[in-house]
Amino acid sequence: MFEEASEVFDNMFKSSFPLTFIVFIPAVLILVSPLPAEAAHEFTVYRMQQYDLQGQPYGTRNSILNTEARTMEADVLSRRCVLMRLADFSFDKYQKALRQSAGAVVIMLPKNMSAMPQDVLQQFMELEPDMLTTETIVPVYFAIEDDELLSIYTQTLTSSSSQGSLSAAEVLLHTATANGFQMVTSGAQSKAMGDWAITSLEGRLTGVGGEDLPTIVLVAHYDSFGVAPWLSYGADSNASGVSMLLELARLFSKLYTYKRTHAAYNLLFFVSGGGKFNYQGTKRWLEDNLDHTDASLLQDNVAFVMCLDTVGNGDSLHLHVSKPPKEGTPQSSLLKELEMVISSQYPEVKFSMVHKKINLADDMLAWEHERFGIRRLPAFTLSHLPSHRSVQRSSIMDVRSVSFSRHGAGEPPSGPHVDVKRLGRNTKVVAEALARVIYNLTEKGAPGDLQIFTEQMQVQEEQLSAVVEWLTAQPRAAQLVDKDSSVVSTLEYHLGRHLKDVKRHYVKADKRDPEFVFYDQLKQTMNAYRVKPAIFDLLLAVCIATYLGLMYLAIQNFGVLYGIVRRLTQPKAKAH
Amino acid sequence: MTLFHFGNCFALAYFPYFITYKCSGLSEYNAFWRCVQAGATYLFVQLCKMLFLATFFPTWEGGAGVYDFVGEFMKATVDLADLLGLHLVMSRNAGKGEYKIMVAAMGWATAELVMSRCLPLWVGARGIEFDWKYIQMSFDSNISLAHYITMAAAVWMFTRYDLPKSFRLPVTVLVALCVYKAFLMELFVHVFLLGSWTVLLVKAVLTGAISLASLFLFVNLVHSS
Repeated sequence: MFEEASEVFDNMFKSSFPLTFIVFIPAVLILVSPLPAEAAHEFTVYRMQQYDLQGQPYGTRNSILNTEARTMEADVLSRRCVLMRLADFSFDKYQKALRQSAGAVVIMLPKNMSAMPQDVLQQFMELEPDMLTTETIVPVYFAIEDDELLSIYTQTLTSSSSQGSLSAAEVLLHTATANGFQMVTSGAQSKAMGDWAITSLEGRLTGVGGEDLPTIVLVAHYDSFGVAPWLSYGADSNASGVSMLLELARLFSKLYTYKRTHAAYNLLFFVSGGGKFNYQGTKRWLEDNLDHTDASLLQDNVAFVMCLDTVGNGDSLHLHVSKPPKEGTPQSSLLKELEMVISSQYPEVKFSMVHKKINLADDMLAWEHERFGIRRLPAFTLSHLPSHRSVQRSSIMDVRSVSFSRHGAGEPPSGPHVDVKRLGRNTKVVAEALARVIYNLTEKGAPGDLQIFTEQMQVQEEQLSAVVEWLTAQPRAAQLVDKDSSVVSTLEYHLGRHLKDVKRHYVKADKRDPEFVFYDQLKQTMNAYRVKPAIFDLLLAVCIATYLGLMYLAIQNFGVLYGIVRRLTQPKAKAH
Repeated sequence: MTLFHFGNCFALAYFPYFITYKCSGLSEYNAFWRCVQAGATYLFVQLCKMLFLATFFPTWEGGAGVYDFVGEFMKATVDLADLLGLHLVMSRNAGKGEYKIMVAAMGWATAELVMSRCLPLWVGARGIEFDWKYIQMSFDSNISLAHYITMAAAVWMFTRYDLPKSFRLPVTVLVALCVYKAFLMELFVHVFLLGSWTVLLVKAVLTGAISLASLFLFVNLVHSS
């Protein structure tokens, strides 16, 4: 048959040249064409942080993956992709995987994280900073669990845990039935994002009564932080601070519209970016305002700077200072007013001042007020957290949980979150204390339980809730919010409704000695392909060869069957 | 899964054709070019069927999950064109009955193998992802070979002028079964919700039964005169 086939092809070649082209070119093209492959499962993975801060690298360095999947129970982990569930996660296992030079780690997070037990969440939150400081050259991904991913995990688990303890025959049988998975990410190697601009916004309310009025600055940073940038929603830290700031802007702008209530203080509101990366936005803003311009509200007469950080929950409020305020200064009067308001109107709230000196030798500053303190501006931070080291300030578990929006839905979710009632109460406390300072109410003899912000002027919880909902609906990591982002423009619009002179302020890292470097490729698509080991192919080849041999024998001896049938039919014919 | 897997599937699909060609003595009759012509007729017939189906059968809009028995039955009836094609091929080849049947069937089945199975195998079996359906596809091509040989034999018997009266009915039934076998298989799958390997088994058994019956009739016809 090959001779005849070759004859046919000879005729084809001799007849006409274009004909061969028509036959050959498509054949060649098909041979070298790239393969569009269908995956068993395609899902989005979020990479762990990768950034350099002040020259120090953090997080994972790599972003490409093309390896087989295993779970922690397997013996051989090197150059494999290790799958781990949040419930089984522990730092030891993580480090063990890294020590065995695993190819990658994928941590699977449940869809409803607030349904996880409190201790699991707490343990994970405490591990997040450790994971970031550990040197990781392999990519670490987070994926949200769905049914298919869970089934991939269980299948990998069964095949991984049974690897060591089987006889050869069982292993052979196992390869025929089990499924291996090859995990491949689409996307390139991560690169530094050169021209990344961190945006901050400022706006003001000018006081009445001529020049040289004292200025009160209110600051909150709007970005969030977590071990994976795309998963950091930052509800309590710091969507609560931003929503309180916006609400205070609304209330005081309302007071400032009427001549009778227009006070003799300038109010400057600053929504800063890059807060979680050592307050880069605030730092550059201060430099620009104090060093590079002649006239700025910050240069003249600053009464105090109040930073709002994590104020959305808890039954305590702490005023963090770097120097205890001296008697007679505006800071000390604010401190006294806060104490008075809380003790007379909200006795259930525990209030205290926390004094912590600025330590310039530390890598990261503790609170935002320390930036102002370094520039000799009196500042403090208000927070319900007693210590700056609290891990809930930088965790992906800080989400506005879904189940909370149903009123009376049973117990509150575990993990950090925003309680709108408490946020509203804290906002009212701050507003009352500020008003008492601005209008000098204590000196004028107003009693401690005088409430200013009631009826039309009351703190609107729906407003607070709406802002928190909107902010926590998207991840606001500093690497993801660029100057065209909708978060920035919406904040600008909201500030513009109540404040005057709303301006943007950009921070770009210095070219030669950058304070911060962000890397891209933070969200990728991972494909899981079902694969069989190479032994399976050989086994299959042997089986097919056997089958074909049998088929050959059957066809060769087809005459036997023919003879049988003929003999069976002959007697009938003869009988006719 | 890899090129090796593709090789496995291709060997599984193609070798029985090769063996059949070799062992049935067709190579002695220089039948290669005639088989290619039969293959060309297959292409032409499929094209006509597709045009016909596209023109006259509207897309069925109904709820998902309900099987449109009548519609599928009508579509299967269009497969009668296959019979006409086979008859055309066989009538153009002079020679003994067996020669005609084998040439027509080999050409037809090989054309079907190349057109409907080689490309999915090439594109799919070479990829990273493994799926049992490629092995099943190759097995299916083996079954198709037997099916087309049976169909060619049944058509040949149907058009014989010296067919005894008593054979008319069985041969007609056989021809009808051949044409509607695909429809019957889909019916089985839908009603009994069979798994893919079971479907293959049922198809093999069905084709085997039809082939045996056809063999019986053929032997009877050829050797009774």
